[in-house]
Amino acid sequence: MSDAAKEAFDALKETVGRVTVDDPKMQAQNVDVFYGDKQAIYDVTLDVAKNEVVAMIGPSGCGKSTFLRCLNRMNDTIPSCKVTGDITLEGESLYSKDMDPVLLRARVGMVFQKPNPFAKSIYDNVAYGPKIHGLANNRAELDDIVESSLQRAGLFDEVKDRLTAPGTSLSGGQQQRLCIARTIAVSPEVILMDEPCSALDPIATARIEELIDELRENYAIAIVTHSMQQAARVSQRTAYFHLGKLVEVGETKRIFTNPSHELTENYITGRFG
Amino acid sequence: MNNATTERVRATLKKRYLKEKIFRGFGITAIAASLGFLVLLLGSILIKGLPAFQATYLNVDIELTEDVLDISADASTEELRGANFSGAINQALRDRFPEVTKRKQRRQLSGLVSSGAEYALADYLAENRDQFGNTVNLWLLADDEVDALIKRNKDLTQPIKRGKNKNNESALITRLSEDQLGWLQSFKDAGDTNVRFSSTFFTNGDSREPEQAGIRAALIGSAYTLLITFVLSFPIAVAAAIYLEEFAPQNRWTDLVEVNINNLAAVPSIVFGLLGLAIFINYLAMPRSAPVVGGIVLSLMTLPTIIISSRAALKAVPPSIREAARGLGASPVQVVTHHVLPLAMPGILTGTIIGLAQALGETAPLLMIGMVAFIVDIPQSVTDPSTVLPVQVFLWADAPERAFTERTSGAILVLLAFLVVMNLTAVLLRKKFERRW
Ligand SMILES: Nc1ncnc2c1ncn2[C@@H]1O[C@H](COP(=O)(O)OP(=O)(O)OP(=O)(O)O)[C@@H](O)[C@H]1O
Ligand SMILES: [Mg+2]
Repeated sequence: MSDAAKEAFDALKETVGRVTVDDPKMQAQNVDVFYGDKQAIYDVTLDVAKNEVVAMIGPSGCGKSTFLRCLNRMNDTIPSCKVTGDITLEGESLYSKDMDPVLLRARVGMVFQKPNPFAKSIYDNVAYGPKIHGLANNRAELDDIVESSLQRAGLFDEVKDRLTAPGTSLSGGQQQRLCIARTIAVSPEVILMDEPCSALDPIATARIEELIDELRENYAIAIVTHSMQQAARVSQRTAYFHLGKLVEVGETKRIFTNPSHELTENYITGRFG
Repeated sequence: MNNATTERVRATLKKRYLKEKIFRGFGITAIAASLGFLVLLLGSILIKGLPAFQATYLNVDIELTEDVLDISADASTEELRGANFSGAINQALRDRFPEVTKRKQRRQLSGLVSSGAEYALADYLAENRDQFGNTVNLWLLADDEVDALIKRNKDLTQPIKRGKNKNNESALITRLSEDQLGWLQSFKDAGDTNVRFSSTFFTNGDSREPEQAGIRAALIGSAYTLLITFVLSFPIAVAAAIYLEEFAPQNRWTDLVEVNINNLAAVPSIVFGLLGLAIFINYLAMPRSAPVVGGIVLSLMTLPTIIISSRAALKAVPPSIREAARGLGASPVQVVTHHVLPLAMPGILTGTIIGLAQALGETAPLLMIGMVAFIVDIPQSVTDPSTVLPVQVFLWADAPERAFTERTSGAILVLLAFLVVMNLTAVLLRKKFERRW
C-alpha cells in the first residue's frame, strides 16, 4: 500500500455508497468478527436484496469468506470465531436463540470454492438435502426434484445416463455444477457462493455464470469472486472489502467505471491486490 | 536452467541414485528376512502340528455278547450306557493274544488302546443295536505312545532307549514295554494299524489323555470371549471416538481424556487381568473362568486401540465433506452418520480387527481371572467355565506327555486359522464399505 492509500484506509470510518436496499432479503448490521483476539471483520453493514446478485471483491485475506460464512452461520463450528452485530434474514435475527442453524442453512444454501460432492451417487448427492428436510413425499417427487435441480444447474443432459455413478467421478466443472444442483434442490431463499469458479475453465465458468443469472429470478445471491470480469458480468451490486473493512458498495456498473474511494480505484485498476 | 545449474545437478545425481539403491536394498532385505522367519515359523508349526489332526487306530474283533457286556439283549438305552465296554475291549485283546496271562501283562495289553475307546464303542452300539450278540470288527483309537510310534513309522524291533535321546537316533524312545512293542508289531504285520484323519481334535475338550484331548472347548471359549469383546468394545470405542473427534469441545478435560486413552493403550495387559479379578470377580461376584468376564477384561484392553485408530480414521475424512453436509442443513449427528462414518468405516474396521487380533492372542489377563482351568466340557454359554486357544496352547506346552507337543502346534494352527478368518472377514467388510466410495 502506498502511503496515500494507507492514509485513506485509516481515515475510512464509514462505507462509501449506499449499503442498504429497499427490499432486503438479508441485512447485516455493524458486524464484527473475531478469530480469537484477532479481528477479521470491522463493523460491516450490508444488505442483500431479493432477486439480486451481490458480488464481494477484495484482496486475498480481506475477510470476504469470513463475512459470507456469517450469513448462514457456517462459522459456528470454528470454536475461536466470535460474531457480534446483527444479521437478519427476512427480519429474523440469525444469531438469536429462536433461530435454528439447521433450518437456517436449509434457507441459506452455500456453494464452496472447491467442489465437494458427497461420497455418494450423483442422484444421492442431489437428493440428500430434500431427503433430510423431508421435502419429497415419495420417490416420484424426489426424482422430480433431482431432475429439475440437475436441469437448472445445466448438468442433467450430461449425467442423465449415469445418475448412479459416484459424484466424485465427474470432472471438476461438472462437480461444481452438481454442488450447485445439490444446493438449489432444497429451494433455499438465499445462495452464498464462495469463489465457485476458481477451479474451473472458462467454458465451465461461463455456464455457471449463466446459471447464476437465471437463478437470480428466484433467489438472492451473494458471490465472492476474485475475477472482476466475473463480478461485472453477473452482479447488480458490488461490495469492495479491504483488510476487514467494507470500503465501498454500489451498483456494479458504477463501481467498475467510476469508483468513489481511492482504495477501490486502486484495486479495480490493478494497482494492488 | 543455465549450464552451471545443470552441471551441479548432474554432479549430485549419482549420489542421489546410489542412496535410493541403498534404501531399496535395505527394504528388500528387511522384507526377505521377515518372510524367511515367517516361513520358518509356519513351516515348523505345520510340520509339528499337522499330525495332531490324525490319530492311530488298531483293528480289533470285539464280541458284543450278553456275557461280555454284562447286560441283557433287551436293555434300555440307559442301561446300555452302563455296559462293560472296557471289559469287551480287554476281552478282545486277550483273545487276540491268548498267551498273555499275567496281570501286569494284561494291563499293559489294555494300555495299547486309548481309555476313550470304550466310549466310542458305546456310541457304536447305541447306533447299531442290531449288532448286539455279534462279533464286530472295529477300529479303536490307540494310546498316545502307540500313536507317536506308529506315526513316526519306526522300526519297532530297534533297541529301546528311555529318557532323553542323546543323538542316538537309531534307538526308540518310548514308554512302551518290550512286550507292548511286540504286540504292536504283530498288529502292524497283520495290517491292523491305521493312521487317519481324526475329528477328535476338533470335537473334544481338554483331556489328561493326549490322544483324546481336543481344542473344541478352547475354540468355543475363544469365540465367546471375542464375541463379548467385540460387542462391548466396538460400539463404546466408536462412540467415544466420534464424540471426541466430532463433538467434544477442545479444552483441558478433553486433553486429559486423550492423554489417558493413549496411556491405557500402553498399560501391560496383566494389569487389566488384575483389575478384572478385583472388580468383576471379587467385588461383583461374576463367575470365574467365564468368557463373559474374559470378554469384559479384553474389551477394556481393546478399547484404547479401537478408539485411537477410529479417531485417526475420522480425522482423515476431508473437512470439505463435513462443510458440504452442514451447509445443506444436516444436523451434526446427520453429518456424522450419513457422511463421516461411512467414509471412516474402513479405517475403524482395520483398527477393530487389530484390537480383536490382540485380544485373541492374549493370555496373561485371562490367567488372572481363572480361564486357565482344565476344561473338559464344551462351554454352552458365556457364563460357563471355559478356556481360550492361547491359554490352551500354554497349558499343553507345559504338559509332560510328549504327545501334547503335536497338540500344542495343532492348537497354534487353529489359532492362526481363526486369525486368518477374522482378517478375511474384515477385508470383505472393508471392501463392501469402500465400494460405496
Ligand atoms: N479459521 C480461522 N482462524 C483464524 N483466522 C482465520 C480463520 N479463517 C480466516 N482467518 C483469518 O481471517 C482473515 C480473513 O480471512 P478470509 O478467509 O475471510 O479471507 P478472504 O477474503 O476470503 O481471502 P481469500 O480471497 O484469499 O479467500 C485472514 O486474515 C485469515 O487469516
Ligand atoms: Mg476466501
